[in-house]
Amino acid sequence: MQVKATVLQKDEVAPQVHKIRFFAPRIAKSAQPGQFVHIKCGEEQNYILRRPFSIHQANSSDSIEILFKVVGRGTSWLAKLKVKDSVDIIGPLGNGFSLKSRPGKIMLVAGGMGIAPLIFLADKLAKEHTKTYTVIGAANKELLLDYMNLKRLTRKITAATEDGSQGVKGLITDILPAAITEDHPDVIFACGPFSMLREVAFIARREDVDCQVALEELMACGVGACLACVVKTKTGFKRVCADGPVFDSREIEW
Amino acid sequence: MSRPDLAVEIAGIKLKNPVITASGTFGYGREYAEFIDLNRLGALVTKTITFQPRSGNPVPRICETPSGMLNSIGLQNNGAEAFAANDLPWLAQFDLPVIVSIGGDDIDQYCRVTKFISQVEGVSALEVNISCPNVKFGGLGFGRDPRMAADLVAKIRTCSTLPLIVKLSPNVGDIVAIAQAVVRAGAQAISLINTVLGMAVDIESKRPRLKSVVGGLSGPAIKPIALRMVWEVAKAIDVPVIGIGGIASAADALEFILAGAGAVAVGTAVFMDPQSPIKIIEGIEEYLTKNGYDKISDIVGALEIAE
Repeated sequence: MQVKATVLQKDEVAPQVHKIRFFAPRIAKSAQPGQFVHIKCGEEQNYILRRPFSIHQANSSDSIEILFKVVGRGTSWLAKLKVKDSVDIIGPLGNGFSLKSRPGKIMLVAGGMGIAPLIFLADKLAKEHTKTYTVIGAANKELLLDYMNLKRLTRKITAATEDGSQGVKGLITDILPAAITEDHPDVIFACGPFSMLREVAFIARREDVDCQVALEELMACGVGACLACVVKTKTGFKRVCADGPVFDSREIEW
Repeated sequence: MSRPDLAVEIAGIKLKNPVITASGTFGYGREYAEFIDLNRLGALVTKTITFQPRSGNPVPRICETPSGMLNSIGLQNNGAEAFAANDLPWLAQFDLPVIVSIGGDDIDQYCRVTKFISQVEGVSALEVNISCPNVKFGGLGFGRDPRMAADLVAKIRTCSTLPLIVKLSPNVGDIVAIAQAVVRAGAQAISLINTVLGMAVDIESKRPRLKSVVGGLSGPAIKPIALRMVWEVAKAIDVPVIGIGGIASAADALEFILAGAGAVAVGTAVFMDPQSPIKIIEGIEEYLTKNGYDKISDIVGALEIAE
C-alpha cells in the first residue's frame, strides 16, 4: 500500500545514524520482520528513485520505525525531517524472515546497520518466548546500535568491535563460530554487509545450522517489476525486493 | 458540460485514453496491481519478451543520476512460453489492451518470438524493441541503421497479423530517416524514445557505477531530447507516434501531445509514484475541460510556431 505517513519522532541515535518513527497504522498492522518500506525522499523531479529501508520496529499497532545511516542524498534528506512532516511510503514490501519450522533456539547476527531489521524480529521472538541469542558487531562501541534493546530482548548478547572499544576486538565473524558452539542455535537470522553475510553463510554451513540472510541491493521499483535489484542464486537471478529480501543462505551464489 | 473524449486509436487498437505504461518499468502489470487500477490505463506495454529466457546483466544494474537514472538490466525475462502461460492469462481479467514488447539477437529470434506471441490469446499489439542499449547483439544493433531496421520490421510483418509498433532509439544519427524506413516496412505506430546511452563513475572506488559500465538514461533528464525527436518524427510520418521519455506529469504528457504524439507512455515516473499514470490521465482531462476541447485529438500536434 501507498500511504502518507507523518513523522512522530526522530532521533540521532549515533553520529550520522537516525531513527524515525512514522504514523502508518495500515503498514504497521501487516508488517512482518524482514520486510521493508520504500520511501519517497525529496521533492519533485530531482530524486528519481525511492529508498528502501528495513522496518526497524512495528510493535505498537499504529507506527513503524526505520533506522538508517546518512550515506547519500536520500538519507540526508530524511535526516532533515522534522516531527509532523509527511512522507510518501510504500510498504510493507518483500518477504520477511521465515519462522515456519518453529525453531527452538535462534541466533541473531547483526553487522553494523544490519541491526535494522533484527530489532523487530527480536521483539517478536521475545513476545513468543523463543530462546534468542545475539551476536553483534560494529566499527566501535558507539555504533553497536540498539545494544541495550537487544540485551533486554534476547538471552545473551556477544559483541565484537573493530577497535576493541566493546566486546572482542575484531569482526563479528571472528566471534560467531564460538557463539554457535556455545549456544547451539537451530537457525541463524543475519543481516549486514554482503561480504559479512557470505562469511556467516559459510560458517553456518560448516556448523550445519540453518541460516536466513536479509540482503540489500540498489532498487528502483521495489515491487518486482524492474529487475534492478537481483541477486545470483542457485536457480538464477532472483529479485531482492520481491523474492527476498530474506533468503535461505544456501540458495545464494556467494 | 460533458467530459472530454480521451479515446485514441493507435496502430488500429482503441485506447480509452492516451496514457500507456512503458516497457520495462511496469513488469507484466501484476507487480503494480496493488497500487493502481489497471483498468484505467490506456494500454500496458510488457517488459520485453524474448523467445528463450534470458538472465540479464550482473549488478549493479541501476544508478540514480541528476533528474534521471541509468539502467542496464539486459532484457532479463522468462521467455515467451512462460510469459504466455503465467502472465497473459492473468492480464486477461482487465479491460486493458496488452502490447507485448518483443526482442531478440537476430532476425530469426525476432521472428520466432513474433510467431509464438501471435498465436496466443490476449495480445492487442506488438512493440518491436530495436532500441535496447543493454544487450550485446540485436537490440540497438538493428535500431541504428535505417536499412537493417526496415529489413527486420518487414520480416516481422510477414510473421504476424497483429498491429505492429516499433520502438526506436535516440542513440542514432538521423531519427527521421529510421522512422520513415520502418513505417515503409510496415510499422503502424512508432514509440520513441528508448533510453539515452549514458554512464556514471564512482570517484572513490574509481569504478563505473553500472557493472556493464554503460547503460540507458531515463527520467526527466531526457525529456527535452525525447520531445524534440517526437516533434521531428511526427511531422515526417503519417502513423501515430507514442511519445516516451521523462514524462512524470500531465503537463509533460501534454507537451508531447502538442508536439504531435498520439499517445504517451510513462516509465521511470512509476518508480517514484505508482499513481503517476492515473494522475496524468486526470490532468489531461482537466486541461481539455479547462481549455474547452471536446476531445484529445483536437490537441494532437496543435503546437503553434510563430512565423
